[in-house]
Amino acid sequence: MNGELPSELHWLSASEAAYAIAHKQVSPVELTQALLARIQRLDPRLNAFIKVDSDAALAAAQAAETEIMAGRRRGPLHGVPVGIKDIIDVAGLDTTCHSKVLEGNRANEDAVCVTKLRAAGAIVLGKLSTHEFAIGGPSFDLPWPPARNPWNPNHHPGGSSSGSGSGVAGGLFPMALGTDTGGSVRNPASCCGIVGLKPTYGLVSRRGVYPLSFTLDHVGPMTRTVDDNALMLDVIAGHDPLDPGSAAARTGHYAGKIDRGVRDLRVGFVRHFHEIDTPADPEVTAALQHVARALQMLGAEVHDVTLPSLGEFAAVNRIILQAEAWSVHAKWLREQPGNYGMLARRRLMAGAFYGAGDYVHAQRRRKEMIAEVEARLRDFDVLLCASSMDPACRIDDTAEVERTYPRQARTPFNTTGHPALAMMSGLSKGGMPLSVQFVGRYFDEATLFQVARAWEKSAGIDKKRPPIG
Amino acid sequence: MDKSLMEALARRAGLQKALAEFPDDVAAAASQAENIAERIKTPADPRAEPWPPMKAGEGL
Repeated sequence: MNGELPSELHWLSASEAAYAIAHKQVSPVELTQALLARIQRLDPRLNAFIKVDSDAALAAAQAAETEIMAGRRRGPLHGVPVGIKDIIDVAGLDTTCHSKVLEGNRANEDAVCVTKLRAAGAIVLGKLSTHEFAIGGPSFDLPWPPARNPWNPNHHPGGSSSGSGSGVAGGLFPMALGTDTGGSVRNPASCCGIVGLKPTYGLVSRRGVYPLSFTLDHVGPMTRTVDDNALMLDVIAGHDPLDPGSAAARTGHYAGKIDRGVRDLRVGFVRHFHEIDTPADPEVTAALQHVARALQMLGAEVHDVTLPSLGEFAAVNRIILQAEAWSVHAKWLREQPGNYGMLARRRLMAGAFYGAGDYVHAQRRRKEMIAEVEARLRDFDVLLCASSMDPACRIDDTAEVERTYPRQARTPFNTTGHPALAMMSGLSKGGMPLSVQFVGRYFDEATLFQVARAWEKSAGIDKKRPPIG
Repeated sequence: MDKSLMEALARRAGLQKALAEFPDDVAAAASQAENIAERIKTPADPRAEPWPPMKAGEGL
C-alpha cells in the first residue's frame, strides 16, 4: 500500500477509513490488525466483546486487500471493520443474546443487516455485549461480564447495545450495529458520547435479529460521527419482503445530503419531557438549552411543542414490550428460569401478568399517540428533546442504576416508530457525556442527519475522545 | 398485588418452577405489571383501532 499511515488508525472514522483504503493509503489488513491489537489491550477493561473473531476478520481483511489491489471495489465500506451486537446473527458464530439460555446457539446465516454490511465490504470483528436478551442489565450474574464505559470504566455504558456503544466510543471499531426497542441504541449513544440512530420502524430489516418486541424492535447504526451514521444507514436500509414489519419505502442517499445546514428549518423543542415530566440533571438541561440556542444561531427556528407525557409513553411502551416479550420467552421461563439473570427474569416474567385487554388498550392509545406526534411534525421539520436525564452513573451502584435508567425520553419514539437520533450535547463536570435527541418525520432520516451534522460541526462533538488511551 | 392472586396468575401462566425457585422475582414481575394500564388514557372513541391496524393496506 502507498502513502503515510495516520498515527492513530483506531480513531479513523468509517468514512475516513473507507477513503484511505480506497486510495491505498491504508491497508484493510493493517487497520484490522491495529484494531485487534487495541481490542486485546483495552477489552479486558471494557468488556465490549463476547467473541472476537480474529481469524475470520483477518482473512476478510486480506481478501479485501487483494480485491482492492486488483481494482475491485465491493462498496462504500470496503475493508472497514464493524462490531455486531450479539442478538444479531452472524453465520458461523453463536448468537447468545448474552444469556446462558442461548449458549452454543450457532447461527447458520447472516442477518439481513449483516449481509448488507458484508456486501458493502465491511469486515465483521465479532459479537458484542448486550443486556441479556436486550432487556436485562447491566448484570453481573451472566456468563459474560457487562460492558463498561470508556469515558470512565467504573461507569455503565448504557444499554442494551452496551458493547456497541463502549467499543465505538473506545476506538475498538468505527461502527457497530445495535438494536432499539425502548431506547437501546440511543441509551449507549447517550452514555458513551457517540451517534446512535433508531431509524423509522420498518426501514431496516429485523430478519436474523433475535426479537424482543415485534412491534417495537428496530436495528440501528452506531458510530462516532454523523457522516458515518448516514453512510451505514445507506448500506443497511431497504425493504425486506420476508420481514413482516419491513416497509416498502424509498431509501438511501442519506450521506450525500448531510451538509445542507439548518437555515429556516423549524425545530420543535419538547421541553416538558425534561423540565416537567422527568426533571433532568441541571447539566443535562443546560446542555439542551445550549443545543437549541446553537441551532437558532445557525438559522433554525426553534419553538416549544407539547407531546403526551413521558409517563404515559413509558406505560404504553412497557405493556406492549413486556407482553410481546413474554410470548417469545414464556416456554423458557417456565422450564429454565434459573438460566436467566435476575434482571431479565423479572422484566420478562412481567408479561405474564398483563391481560389481553391491557395489551389492546395500549395498542389503541399508541395509535392516538402516533397521531399526536404526527400533528406536531406537520408544523416542525424536527423535534429536539432530551435522551437521558442524567449522565451515566457507576455500574456498581445498583440503586443509582435503577433510579437513573428509566429517567429517559426514548421510549416515545419506539412507541410511535418515528426516527430518532441521540448524540453528545456536551460533557458533565465529572467528564461524562451528556446527550440530546433529534426526532424526525417517518422516513425523513435525511433531515435528522442534517440537523445532527450542523450541531456536531458547530460544537466539534466528533473531535471529543474518552481518556482511555 | 395480593399474594394469593399473584400466585394464581403465575400458576396460570405456567410459572410454577419460577414460583418455587425465585418467588421474589415472580413478585417483582407482578409488581411491575400491576396497575400500569391505569396510567394510560382510555381512547375517547370505543371503536378506536389499535396499532398495528386490524386491516390490510395501512401502515406508517
